[in-house]
Amino acid sequence: MSVQLSELAPVAKPLLVCSHITTGYGRATILRDVSLHVAPGETIGLLGRNGMGKTTLLRTIMGLLPPGPQGCILFGDHDITGDRTASIARAGIALVPEGRGLFPNLGVEESLTLGARADSKGRNLWPLERIYDVFPRLAERRKHWCNQLSGGEQQMMAIGRALMTNPRLLMLDEATEGLAPKMRDEIWSILRRVAQAHIATMIVDKNLRDLFDLADRHVILAKGEIVFEGSTDKLRSDDTLIHRWLGV
Amino acid sequence: MELALVQLFNGIQYGLVVFLAASGLTLVFGILGIINLAHGSFYMLGAYLALTLTSITGNIFLALALGLPLAFAFGAAIEWIFIRHLYKRDHLQQVLLTFALILIFNEVQRIVWGSYPHAVPVPDFLSGSIRLTATLAYPVYRLVLTGICLVLALVMLITITGTKIGRLIRAGESNREMLELLGFDSRLLFRLVFAAGTMLAAAAGMLAAPVESVYPGIGERVLIVSFVVVVIGGMGSIRGAFIGALLIGIADAFGKMLLPGFASVMVYALMAVVLVVRPAGLFGRA
Amino acid sequence: MLRRPHLGVMALLLILLGLVALLPIMPPDVAGPYAIKFATRIVIVAMMVVSLDLLIGITGLVSFGHAAFFGLGAYGVYFMSPEAESANVLIAFPVAIALAAGGAALIGAFAVRNKGFYFIMVTLAASQMLYALFHDTRIAGGSDGASINIKPELVIGETSLLDLSNRAALLWLSLGCLVIVYGLSFWLVRSSFGHVLQGIRWNEERMRALGFNTYIYKLAIFIIAGALAGLAGALFAAIDGFVPPELLGWRQSGLAIMMVVLGGVGTLYGSALGALVYNALEETLKNSAVVGPQISDHWPIAMGLLLIGAVLAAPQGLAGWLPRFVPRIGGTNIKTAPMDCAVHAAPVLSVAGLGKVFGGLIANDGITISFEPNKVHAIIGPNGAGKTTFTNLLSGTFAPTAGRIRIGDVDVTSLSVHRRARLGIGRSFQRTNIISAFTVEENCLIAAQAGPLAASGVEMALRATGLEDRRDRLARELSHGEQRQLEIAMLLANGAHTLLLDEPLAGAGPEETQRLTALLRGLATNHTIVLIEHDMDAVFAVADTIAVLVNGRLIAHGAPDEIRADAAVREAYLGSFELIGASP
Repeated sequence: MSVQLSELAPVAKPLLVCSHITTGYGRATILRDVSLHVAPGETIGLLGRNGMGKTTLLRTIMGLLPPGPQGCILFGDHDITGDRTASIARAGIALVPEGRGLFPNLGVEESLTLGARADSKGRNLWPLERIYDVFPRLAERRKHWCNQLSGGEQQMMAIGRALMTNPRLLMLDEATEGLAPKMRDEIWSILRRVAQAHIATMIVDKNLRDLFDLADRHVILAKGEIVFEGSTDKLRSDDTLIHRWLGV
Repeated sequence: MELALVQLFNGIQYGLVVFLAASGLTLVFGILGIINLAHGSFYMLGAYLALTLTSITGNIFLALALGLPLAFAFGAAIEWIFIRHLYKRDHLQQVLLTFALILIFNEVQRIVWGSYPHAVPVPDFLSGSIRLTATLAYPVYRLVLTGICLVLALVMLITITGTKIGRLIRAGESNREMLELLGFDSRLLFRLVFAAGTMLAAAAGMLAAPVESVYPGIGERVLIVSFVVVVIGGMGSIRGAFIGALLIGIADAFGKMLLPGFASVMVYALMAVVLVVRPAGLFGRA
Repeated sequence: MLRRPHLGVMALLLILLGLVALLPIMPPDVAGPYAIKFATRIVIVAMMVVSLDLLIGITGLVSFGHAAFFGLGAYGVYFMSPEAESANVLIAFPVAIALAAGGAALIGAFAVRNKGFYFIMVTLAASQMLYALFHDTRIAGGSDGASINIKPELVIGETSLLDLSNRAALLWLSLGCLVIVYGLSFWLVRSSFGHVLQGIRWNEERMRALGFNTYIYKLAIFIIAGALAGLAGALFAAIDGFVPPELLGWRQSGLAIMMVVLGGVGTLYGSALGALVYNALEETLKNSAVVGPQISDHWPIAMGLLLIGAVLAAPQGLAGWLPRFVPRIGGTNIKTAPMDCAVHAAPVLSVAGLGKVFGGLIANDGITISFEPNKVHAIIGPNGAGKTTFTNLLSGTFAPTAGRIRIGDVDVTSLSVHRRARLGIGRSFQRTNIISAFTVEENCLIAAQAGPLAASGVEMALRATGLEDRRDRLARELSHGEQRQLEIAMLLANGAHTLLLDEPLAGAGPEETQRLTALLRGLATNHTIVLIEHDMDAVFAVADTIAVLVNGRLIAHGAPDEIRADAAVREAYLGSFELIGASP
């Protein structure tokens, strides 16, 4: 099955194009023929109930799961289908995974700088000073071990660490899950700054109100298929869509 | 009293050699999650490399300079051929595969070097003894051996705590997938770590070769003792392996002096005591 | 759980046994003395390996020291054999078995406290210790090994029934013992004791929370397996009348593990086949007439490569290639006793001045609260407020550093998890904690086994949670919400009157949330529910009382409306609560 780029990318040249992704574990199919694109600098909300395939989609994009025989993933000018996770990360996609993936036996500063690198054009937009500016709490805790951080600080740490790789696309799985309301607000304001820095983001979160405030566009997954793709306004104005697919 | 002093020196020296072997084992377990029963074979490889290379070059230190890179390459090859298939498998299959490797290595050893023990000469300029007290002399090579082991231990410590590769090693220990997500190819890291572990065991075998004789099955005793050290020190902990190895070395030396016949039993009893008091080992995370 | 072998496999096993039994009466050019001895060795090793599978495959304890008990059995016969006459099997064998069982009890008492890698290493070191003892000292021949001059005889009264120096007699006796060991093991694994062992293999934490003292179970099977290995060892000593210390060593233990894995763990018969195949393979590779001198001279290399190939190509072992018995749907027979849902009235659960300090960190600080029966009590609070610590104190996972915990009038502060479970405290975990390899019904069955309800608890729990039509599904095939339901069903089957639920709604979609909250409301008619939950909508909808923890202290406790109106609570925790309700 060939991919018609023009059909998927109507206006600007997209940053990420996923087409016909079909992924499963063992016998169960989680994603069925999923196609989507992300424009440079765009913020996308990835929605859906639990078990509908959001995490699987993010992991497939990162090359942690195979995209299926027809699946094809383009990033920038490269075909990254079937590439190793490490090389996909180096191409400029960062994932903040569910559970945050901390290194308990590394210090805060050690983990932040571990993956630090310039972007593909050699620019370093997120040096350590800027990270500490955005996350003053991490600056206070720079000498602590990662396992001594609170849940919110851990999430900041994970986001900061991802930013230091200078990604062109940042993906967050369950960005604010398990955090107290005040800490959630702080994470959202940080994500707003990331969006303003013209980094494309794809955010999975259950908190619709904050996600609506931030994202340009939303994709809803249900039973492994995309059932809605459109602007925040379009989704906000259609209660039946929300009730049908997200059940709130 | 003087005998006790000599035994103390012997114990420390033996402990440090065991530390080199055990640190490789604990590194491979801590980062790759592999129980490597064939680790003792790498010690044996070192001992026999010392034998062959010393006879070619005439000097144990030249042999060391040649042998360590060879052992590193050998470790990398073994990882590539066999070990990498085990990362997603359970302990049982790791035990089985590495046990099978022992069968193969032992037979290869028999084919190449034969079944008889050999001696590796101490370099002439180190063959004397130093007078410690009026009546007590101690072989120079053993002191030098102790010094080299200490330097290697220090180098390892600095590498783990202060270098980028050390940070990657520690990160890989807790979360391999995250390392990939940050853009590091963990296959390469794992191969490096396995090769380094192989090299450490071989280094122990080479350095100890002039002190002990070189014989078939030499690695298996070291393997078991290394496991005991790793358990005492706490899995994955280099610092724990260091303390554990010294404890074992000293317990073994004094056991031989005080309770001949029960020295090995004492070593295991020491481990039992440590496990009762601290089930995760001295420096292990529970 | 262990199913009975497929009929085809049983037929294969019976044919093999029959062939072996017939060996001694075949003409000598078909089966000479060597063949009989070889067969005897395989039969004995198979027995030892089956006993090891009880640990590895059934209970999940990878013992790297099993040969020690085999060796102890062999040395036991040596100790009981006088210089110039034969020992009586009826005396020497029980002593040998007792020696092995005693050794297993001693080692097991230390070893089964450890898990995974540590268990492997402790058993390895302990067996090496025994090896060193027999090798380095002159207890029994030292490194040269011990010789039994005259082999044992089976004597009853004055008549000798069986002389083990007769090869055929030894083979038949060994064969009989193998059948008994296998039958005994199979029966044991299928008994309620064995169900618990299998539960421990898949999820020990859950088994403990259900009220099983898993330490005792693990120690018991360790001793039983040791005793069975001891029997095998005793027979082994009678083959050559020679017991080398290497019999106890780590190589033998490693070989035994290898045979178990080669045959297929957890099937019992698979490991016996593994012993057969391994030994036959070794014998073939050593035979230059069959494989040529090139290979037979260096047979360990060929053997090693074959084993590596087997590990990589067939992780399930030989048993993975054989047909499996597939259980009938609805096939398990459970006698349904009359239902008695209101088991016992739930008593008040109360704590006074409860505190817990980790290192320097105060996780819980002077909490005093009592939970009235038959109500839903929610505990909320920001992350790190000490909610999970509080649950762990209530369930007995941690011991408090201050304060008392009472169930009704009983002070349970110093009781362990399983003792509290037996008093009716059931807890669920943040991550769903079921035994995924068991069916729904088996999960409930094992939970009921630990409680006062027995089989009647199973039906009650399945009905109460609406899982009746899922009873034959494997737990791992259930949806997330159903697994949560199953976890609660297990608590009910266990006879719990007080349910401690740690974030039961985490990860549940809206529909599942609805179903689960309805379930909780229904259960609250005759259970006390203590609920830790982040989903505020659900908490305020379902709870009768809400307790608020902040920094380890209880800052408020009352009806939902009171909590909503409490200024301190709003300040400390809820903050932007209005925003959380997601509807735009």
